[in-house]
Amino acid sequence: MDDSRDPSPKRGREADEYEHEDARPRKRSSSGTPNGSASYRLAQRPARRYSRDNDSEDDHRYYRDRRSPQSGSHSRSGSRSRSQSRRRSRSPESTPLPPKPNELHYKPTMILHGHKKGVSAVRFSPDGRWIASASADCTIKIWDAKTGQLEHTLEGHLAGVNIISWSPDSKMIASGSDDKTIRLWNITTGLAHPTPFVGHHNYVYSIAFSPKGNMLVSGSYDEAVFLWDVRAARVMRSLPAHSDPVGGIDFVRDGTLIVSCANDGLIRVWDTATGQCLRTLVHEDNAPVTSVRFSPNGKYILAWTLDSCLRLWNYIDGKGKCVKTYQGHMNKKYSLSGAFGTYGGEPPYQYAFIASGSEDNTIVLWDVSSKNVLQRLEGHKSPVLAVDTHPSEHLIASGGLDKVVRVWRSEEGQNEVTNGTNGTEEVGEKVVNGDEAELPPYPFGE
Amino acid sequence: MNLSLVDPFVLAQDCPEVITGRLRSGHSTSIRFSHRGDLLASGRHDGIVVIFDIETNGVARKLRGHTRQIQSLSWSTNDRYLLSAGQDWKAVLWDLQDGSRLRTVRFESAIFIAEIHPKNHNLFVAALYEDQPVLVDISEPIPVKHSLSSAPRRLQSERDNATEKQAAQDAKQTTTVTVFTPSGEHILAGTNKGWLNIISAKTHQILYSLRLTNNIIVFVRLTLSGRDVVINSSDRIVRTIHLPELTDPKLDFDTLQLEVEHKFQDLVQRLSWNHVSFSPSGEYVTASTWMNHHIYVWERGQGSLVKILEGTKEELSAVEWHPFRPFVAAVGVDSGRIWLWSILQPQRWSALAPDFVEVEENHEYIEHEDEFDIQPLEEIHKRRLDQEDEEVDVLTIEPQKTPMTFEADDLGFRMPVLLDIEASDSEDEVVAIGAGQFRRKSPGTGREWMNDDEGAEVASNGTSATQNGTKRRRAG
Repeated sequence: MDDSRDPSPKRGREADEYEHEDARPRKRSSSGTPNGSASYRLAQRPARRYSRDNDSEDDHRYYRDRRSPQSGSHSRSGSRSRSQSRRRSRSPESTPLPPKPNELHYKPTMILHGHKKGVSAVRFSPDGRWIASASADCTIKIWDAKTGQLEHTLEGHLAGVNIISWSPDSKMIASGSDDKTIRLWNITTGLAHPTPFVGHHNYVYSIAFSPKGNMLVSGSYDEAVFLWDVRAARVMRSLPAHSDPVGGIDFVRDGTLIVSCANDGLIRVWDTATGQCLRTLVHEDNAPVTSVRFSPNGKYILAWTLDSCLRLWNYIDGKGKCVKTYQGHMNKKYSLSGAFGTYGGEPPYQYAFIASGSEDNTIVLWDVSSKNVLQRLEGHKSPVLAVDTHPSEHLIASGGLDKVVRVWRSEEGQNEVTNGTNGTEEVGEKVVNGDEAELPPYPFGE
Repeated sequence: MNLSLVDPFVLAQDCPEVITGRLRSGHSTSIRFSHRGDLLASGRHDGIVVIFDIETNGVARKLRGHTRQIQSLSWSTNDRYLLSAGQDWKAVLWDLQDGSRLRTVRFESAIFIAEIHPKNHNLFVAALYEDQPVLVDISEPIPVKHSLSSAPRRLQSERDNATEKQAAQDAKQTTTVTVFTPSGEHILAGTNKGWLNIISAKTHQILYSLRLTNNIIVFVRLTLSGRDVVINSSDRIVRTIHLPELTDPKLDFDTLQLEVEHKFQDLVQRLSWNHVSFSPSGEYVTASTWMNHHIYVWERGQGSLVKILEGTKEELSAVEWHPFRPFVAAVGVDSGRIWLWSILQPQRWSALAPDFVEVEENHEYIEHEDEFDIQPLEEIHKRRLDQEDEEVDVLTIEPQKTPMTFEADDLGFRMPVLLDIEASDSEDEVVAIGAGQFRRKSPGTGREWMNDDEGAEVASNGTSATQNGTKRRRAG
């Protein structure tokens, strides 16, 4: 337990610290200036990033697009030629036995500006229509996943928001905040449900909806895990979980199990119906576990630990066994998160990848079975805390301490379908500015 | 997905043991589990139907439309529709998607029971007080009622020899209980003269009749397979009968011989039974007792009494078994509470740490030869990583091999989660009237809604009433 972690690997906290590192002063009054500066920086920075990639064509095209948005025809033709070449290179995939791709080609499509502090969580809605992002600036923003349009800014939390979770019907969002409460938000109206979930006596750090949407499980800095009745906004059950702040929590796909993890290095699996601990997973090194997720089929647990590893656990067989360790990212300080995604073709040839943020400002995609890094997405300018994958499309959203949400798209496997319509969009990054003219009052002053 | 982790000894237990909880919303009179077992419908004395979420033990929905006590409840197979029959001589089909009243059917007499067809939620069969049972088609807004017969089927020879008195008696028979078989092709009907009739749901003809007793048949319930039937009659005997496959085309009803498999009764106390139900597999039969606080559980293999569920201080009426868990719910007659019996799982402390093992007796620890050998960390790490070469499949979803057949289909109906249900369901319904002062809620408070929307037939009325209720609560 070193000191750097001990105060908290808290997303909100660290975001504050980052705020100080960032030279740009955050002014409530002059909202116009930050906008301008943001777009200016965008025009500069991606170029540098792309030149690093040795992809000069990309580079040029990027510049063209950013400099003169009118020259759409150029860019479109550019994109077509590129996608064709890529299709040629992937042509073996259409043969009966396609080889497993050994790299992925996610490209930036959108940059969503608007948050005034670091982004702590990004989640696609289960129906794939929306992206929700939570930030240390006490707000949650709902963006259209297709256009990047800012739909709502959910305001009401009195402190930074650590985590969000979509209800299974995509109509509600639950958010956990440093103000110790959990709130439910209606997506259509953008309003908070009048009764917050009060009960935790420290920062709410992680929450997850049950697959039916009737229960919510929350992990807190007060070391407790609460199971809530969503309808009545009351604690149903308190799980005597951990002896350190609970970092991550997740429901299995049929809702019968809950997994929780904590800084004490334990991952515990709980029976939802009885509230009993069914399994405890500990790695020998006992590194603090900051985030957990069940695999899409519920048979494995993916855990993020502060020794720069992601571990995939088979929690069912025997006493539980770590079956994979993914390395290549950096994770010493923050509680990063990520998601499972798929690539390849239809189910027999469908493979799974894991996407995670990293403190070296990248997003790393690993193949689940081979543990090989499939791609590193570069673009964020500070640690990437939150990564999520789209439920059906090849889309990744990420958020980090640099206050922006980035959306990445891979045309792999679906370019026949979408190229005609979406081809233009994928030419370059679309910068969406979600800054409102009037900023909400900042409750804690400057 | 928790089954692979749960103690197999706990899973092997299939009979509930102790009271594990209770639910309350008003004074419940009848209950029914949904097919998927996550919801419990409760009909109240004041005519409100409450849907409880079994996972949270909270109210998931309230349905308003009846003005008197609810007599029976029946779920459609996909759990989206609920048919309630009340003592206000109405049967209402509810859509749980939005809580609306899809259809309201009025009868000219009280309804004993109304059961939805297992494959068509627009068809139900109802047994009426002093009237013939009806098969009601509600696919159109105006219900079509087909009257069914109660007179038992007689062979031609019997009919020829029948005396006038017997014919008159046959004509006077009425049906007291009707249920569909799981295939939906037949209806089992019990009459007030102790006959059990098998009626074809298509031709509406009685195919087979069997006289079980001279007394009234009070209740009939089938297992999920439809091959076993339990019959409660007012002669204080619970009978079980094993049925043949009724859908088998080779089955000849004329030569069919059904025999009573078990007769469960209490010869000493001469207990009479309020309500009977089967366990999911049909292995157990439960019955609540009249003027007594116990639920009797018999097992059908030997026909012996295996357990008496107790713990309440009141008589129990309706008793229902969860569709796949060892979990029994019963309604208290006096308080209107719903009592829940289940199994208490002890925490296995070996689950709390990976190196904990539960042992029967003490073991002498034998140190491994290499236990304290110092090995270079790097090497261990490398070896460990190299060992992780197995293929892992994180995507393929294995079909469930459990009896929870409904759990497997995720595409089924899912009831929306409502956030603004009128609460008022706290235990004992007390309201705080001052610092540390409480009083019981006045008995009539929940009933104002009846004044405003009674008689209105609009489908959306159920929801608007709910909203009204909510507003009132907030204001108050």
